[in-house]
Amino acid sequence: MTLAIVLLALLASVWLLAVTEGWTTTGRLRPAAPLLSGLAHLGRESIVPRTPDRVFFETAPVLFLIVAVLGAAVLPLAPTLVIADLATGALFINAALAYVLVAVIMAGWGPNGAYAMIGGWRFLGQLIAYAMLIVMPITAVAMRAESLVTTVIVGSQGSLWNIVYQPLGFMLFFIAAMALAFRAPFDLPIAAGELGGGVDAEYTGVRLAVLRLARLTLVVTLASAITVFYLGGWHGPLLPPWAWSLIKTLAVAVSMLLVGRYLPRIREADLMRWCWTLGIPLALLNIIVVGVLVLVVP
Amino acid sequence: MYAQAFFVAVFGLAAIGFGVVVFRTSSMVRSALALLFSQTAVGCMFLAMQTEFLGVLQIMMMATEMSIMAIFMVMFMMDPGGMGGMDMTHQKRFSIGAGVVAAGVTIVVAFWVDWGPVTVEAPDAAMQTRALGMELLGRSMLIFETAGVTILTAMIAATAVAIPVQARANKGEMESPE
Amino acid sequence: MTSAPVMTDTGARRRQKRFAVLQKWISRALARSLSCLIVPGPEVALAHGLDVTAAGLRITGTPRDAGVLLIVGDLPEKMTEAAAVLYAQMPRPRAILVLGGQIPSSLPDADAVADLSQEALTEATERLRRALAESAFAASTEDFDAAVLNARIEYVCPMHPEVVQDEPGSCPKCGMDLVARDAGDDSGAGDMIPEHGHDHEHHHDHEHHHGGAPGHSEHDHSGHDHAGHDNGGNEHSGHDHDAMGFMSMVEVTRDLPRSADGLAMDWIEVPFGPVFPGLPGGLKLTLTLDGDGVTEGRARTLVGMANGDDGNGQLKAETFVERLASATPLAPVSYRLLACLAIERAAGVEDDPATARARAGALERERIASHLGWLAQSGRQLGFAWLTDRASTLQLGIQNASQEKLIELEPALQALANRLGRTPLLKARLKGTGVLPAGSSGLRGPVAVAADEAGDAWARLWQRLAESTASLDVIKSTGELGLPALRNIGHASGIGEATVETPRGLAQLNLKLEHGRVKSYKLDTACSHHIGLVAELVEGRELGDALVAVGSLDLSPWEVLS
Repeated sequence: MTLAIVLLALLASVWLLAVTEGWTTTGRLRPAAPLLSGLAHLGRESIVPRTPDRVFFETAPVLFLIVAVLGAAVLPLAPTLVIADLATGALFINAALAYVLVAVIMAGWGPNGAYAMIGGWRFLGQLIAYAMLIVMPITAVAMRAESLVTTVIVGSQGSLWNIVYQPLGFMLFFIAAMALAFRAPFDLPIAAGELGGGVDAEYTGVRLAVLRLARLTLVVTLASAITVFYLGGWHGPLLPPWAWSLIKTLAVAVSMLLVGRYLPRIREADLMRWCWTLGIPLALLNIIVVGVLVLVVP
Repeated sequence: MYAQAFFVAVFGLAAIGFGVVVFRTSSMVRSALALLFSQTAVGCMFLAMQTEFLGVLQIMMMATEMSIMAIFMVMFMMDPGGMGGMDMTHQKRFSIGAGVVAAGVTIVVAFWVDWGPVTVEAPDAAMQTRALGMELLGRSMLIFETAGVTILTAMIAATAVAIPVQARANKGEMESPE
Repeated sequence: MTSAPVMTDTGARRRQKRFAVLQKWISRALARSLSCLIVPGPEVALAHGLDVTAAGLRITGTPRDAGVLLIVGDLPEKMTEAAAVLYAQMPRPRAILVLGGQIPSSLPDADAVADLSQEALTEATERLRRALAESAFAASTEDFDAAVLNARIEYVCPMHPEVVQDEPGSCPKCGMDLVARDAGDDSGAGDMIPEHGHDHEHHHDHEHHHGGAPGHSEHDHSGHDHAGHDNGGNEHSGHDHDAMGFMSMVEVTRDLPRSADGLAMDWIEVPFGPVFPGLPGGLKLTLTLDGDGVTEGRARTLVGMANGDDGNGQLKAETFVERLASATPLAPVSYRLLACLAIERAAGVEDDPATARARAGALERERIASHLGWLAQSGRQLGFAWLTDRASTLQLGIQNASQEKLIELEPALQALANRLGRTPLLKARLKGTGVLPAGSSGLRGPVAVAADEAGDAWARLWQRLAESTASLDVIKSTGELGLPALRNIGHASGIGEATVETPRGLAQLNLKLEHGRVKSYKLDTACSHHIGLVAELVEGRELGDALVAVGSLDLSPWEVLS
């Protein structure tokens, strides 16, 4: 039951997100567009490129979708509305999202094309930049909650949301999450202007539909993670808990989509440099500040 | 209990299966990712054996590590896609011997040793995590810190070793016209 | 699921019926979500005043993602071949929509043909929709085959590029399996459009030819440098299995040349263009990549202009003017003006100040529109969607605007410039990228002025924005704008020379007129000089930086003389 509800919520969010994305890019609000586009993908030919690594080519979109959903499995919509309330939830989401990298590399290597391959390996470089900024802010969140359990983490924010308690961590995690979801301006692996679609370049038909669905699901999962870790999860007045979770998640997801529209793509070298010379020291500072707060403030 | 044994067996076999794939392909990237999924299966075995933290940690760490290994393969190997069908194996006889001996020893030890009584009820995952934290930051702290610093030193040293070679070559080039 | 008819092997009748319903829904969905790939490129559509998105087509940059091949205007010979390769890469069901031009002979019949106007485009899109909704699953989807798509397969050793055979087998030198590749010329010699050509791959062999530019050739350094290394060394160390026990990578690669990162063997040659989302359509950039760094690059045009000394240039003066204007879709007014001026001078027609002012106004208007078109193109390259939208809208508004309308648009232009100055990441992206080497010669237009500043992409951006403002000031003083039209020259003869500062820099035309006909002409354009800068700009750069550097030159492949 919980499983069905959470999956349904995930699907609904993806749909709303796709509608919003279409709205911002074309200026028309077409609620049916994502469904039509999905159907249209079913009708298109699914081309397999010449001499692909077939196993990688077929597995990558599916693996991508699975890990995006697995990541969402440990994130609670409401105190009891969570598929798996693991004791290591905050670590588990890291583990699941690490396989996004594997899926992207497989999607890059599989079709046997230069654009895709460079896109795939570019994402590995991107991981070297953002990975620490995912893990270290989560560490500070877990320090405050004194637990890795996601429901306990939300519970710890009852009086004060983490976005206020550790704004630095929120900013770093938000940026890193966008880099993980490779949304613009961090869309180096698929950069249209540089790689003509990159890892997406060779996918058509059903496989492309799965790949796109997986990317949007990943954005929702990450937005949900930001909600749980920083925006107090289900906490909020009047509305039922699940509604608050959904509203916050969608707001974060839409903001992740919108930011990229107004920014040029970041340079790979700049991303790496800023993440390591600025991001990681700041993340360390965040951990120290939170550590002091946890010890000093009762 | 039986379910647990079943899953341990399934993931164990998957780990072995992927392990075999590592050597059955001449594509370096496939090989690296097969090793990754073999290790992931080991992580899943941990999960099936109710050691949640270790399992998740193993699954998480391997993804990045093996991917990095894959790119090093692409960088250094002449035929990383395996399309040239190059034979990547070497010292076959020795390695088969070593493998058989190691497997034999492991099996013998597994049956030989008295493993003690079976734990009836494993502590729950949150307790385990807590206990692990206490262990890491208590008694074992010195060991782990030492290991960590050693690895860091080794990495810095390796980088340092790699750099002067280039610098010397440049210097030689610059001096040669004089 | 493919578009091929699958009825024959779906068992029961009922299932067939259900399937037909599903097909109907899918067909409708296909018709409702059309995406198009524009050949030669979206910038040409914009320059013709077409708003493709408003017509209900989503613009995409890759053939794999496109359902409609939208051909804008007449395509030069080589571009039609590129269009055929693009079409072959599009997933079925696919359609061809030709606007205001010949249907290229390399392609199957167009599904819709229309004039070069917004109304015609919208109407043709609707027609295409209806056709697709009805017959997306028609059984007539025959295979598309064109001469350019056929390539000879040959087999090459991944380690020894000199070993090439017609049949599969193993390498006589190292025993490795030979890898199939398409035979084709990779010499860069020529004008051959690289059909399925030249994959020198060892592990990257596939069909993705972006924009008719097939094959990424992955080859060893030795592919570049046959004479440069001693294969004998390889023979000794490479396959001496018995002595070594195994192939030592260190031994095998010892004599191969190294790239900047000290590694051998990871070079691939990748074509970007002639239809590539980040580059102007018709420009073909071939980059040799080392990881994602560019080792070597060269650019050439597939849509360049012929320079006039090809003999029987017995063109009527009016025809000549039209020809030159239509050959340069990105700056038709400038070249129309150039031709008119040269012919009028040759004919000895006196300059008329009123006409000259009106013409100057039209030229400056085109300059603003062209710079906005470049901004939109940069937005596509940089993934900066807002910039593309804004600049395209402004460009469409400015193209045919009157003087008052242009002056009304001044605040909008100013706001755009201010916004760009404040955009985070933009300066970091452009500053220091594409710095021209000291002493670059042949610089013209905005590129030349910016070279006196920092000489990077950032300086070129601001130079173009400054020129747009200056152009508006000129327009304020010119009075009403008038498109250049050839004045009556009768049957005059003579020699004329004219220069025009086009949006991309100075263009010069010398021509010889005989009895009102253009006997011969000689053209000199800015882009012909600028395209030579590409090799130096991209060498040693990261891929993204290299492409931004090329983009910042604002090359118009149409204005390159071939």
